Amino acid sequence: MTPIDVTPIETTELQATAQLDEARTTINVSFRGNADARAIAPVDAFLVSVHEAAARLGVQEVVVDFHAFDFMNSSCFKAFVTWIGRIEELAPPRQYKIRFLQDSGKHWQRRSLDALRSFAAELVSIQ
Amino acid sequence: MSLGGGPGVEARAAGTDAYFELAFSPCLNLVSVVRRFVNEFYSQVLIDADVTSRLALATHELLENSAKYAADDLTSIRISVSKEAGSTLVAITTRNRAETEHIARLKATLDELIAAPDPQAHYLVLMRRTAKRTDGSGLGLGRVRAESEMNIAYEVDETSVTLRAEARIPETPAQ
Repeated sequence: MTPIDVTPIETTELQATAQLDEARTTINVSFRGNADARAIAPVDAFLVSVHEAAARLGVQEVVVDFHAFDFMNSSCFKAFVTWIGRIEELAPPRQYKIRFLQDSGKHWQRRSLDALRSFAAELVSIQ
Repeated sequence: MSLGGGPGVEARAAGTDAYFELAFSPCLNLVSVVRRFVNEFYSQVLIDADVTSRLALATHELLENSAKYAADDLTSIRISVSKEAGSTLVAITTRNRAETEHIARLKATLDELIAAPDPQAHYLVLMRRTAKRTDGSGLGLGRVRAESEMNIAYEVDETSVTLRAEARIPETPAQ
């Protein structure tokens, strides 16, 4: 894994990191904790940075690990919707995929991630 | 127990019914605290972890909505679970005072939401719309309806808002 120019989120309630894999084709993102109203600005800024890095590096995929992600409110969910919108604005050859790794024991994740997949089925997958 | 200087909390579980009622000073920082409590409280009352999760999500969104737009230092929330013939009724009710301007905007949002026949399709419309918004996500109440699968009703007067989200959960043989 290679660190990339994305400032991690390191608050008491929420942590998020992003790293480039060795093949330089995938950015691995992980979220841990609780994203409520206090996390809106950090999540927004973090996902903007991830998108800029992904576009700059020309990766094929961003893998987002939600296994330790306890909750996300609608405003932080909006940040993910906006992120997907930014990918859609890229020229098709530059568009990359997002693959979410969900924890089936955290039931909100299935519902929220299903909504994101319905929003952009060609870009979003869930594992 | 007292939160944020508000009047306090009452909770009761009697037989198969249970309710939880809390009045507190609206503060966004406390919403996650309440959601975690609701999740814990109703995991003891409801067998289905998915239903508990839906209730917790709806609680969070409705409380954030109240906390954002409350005009004074009091928001109340009541969550009840009642056994009915062949099903369980879960309901969340929030009440708060709000400015006239916010009430008008909320009313327009809710009227559109309630009139939309397909919660999932309407949620996708809201998601398309949210990217262009700069004032909040506009997704919270749509999320309650689509992800928590709860019907929403409301009452407003000139100064206050009461929101009610409810769902009937069919009994399964395992229950």
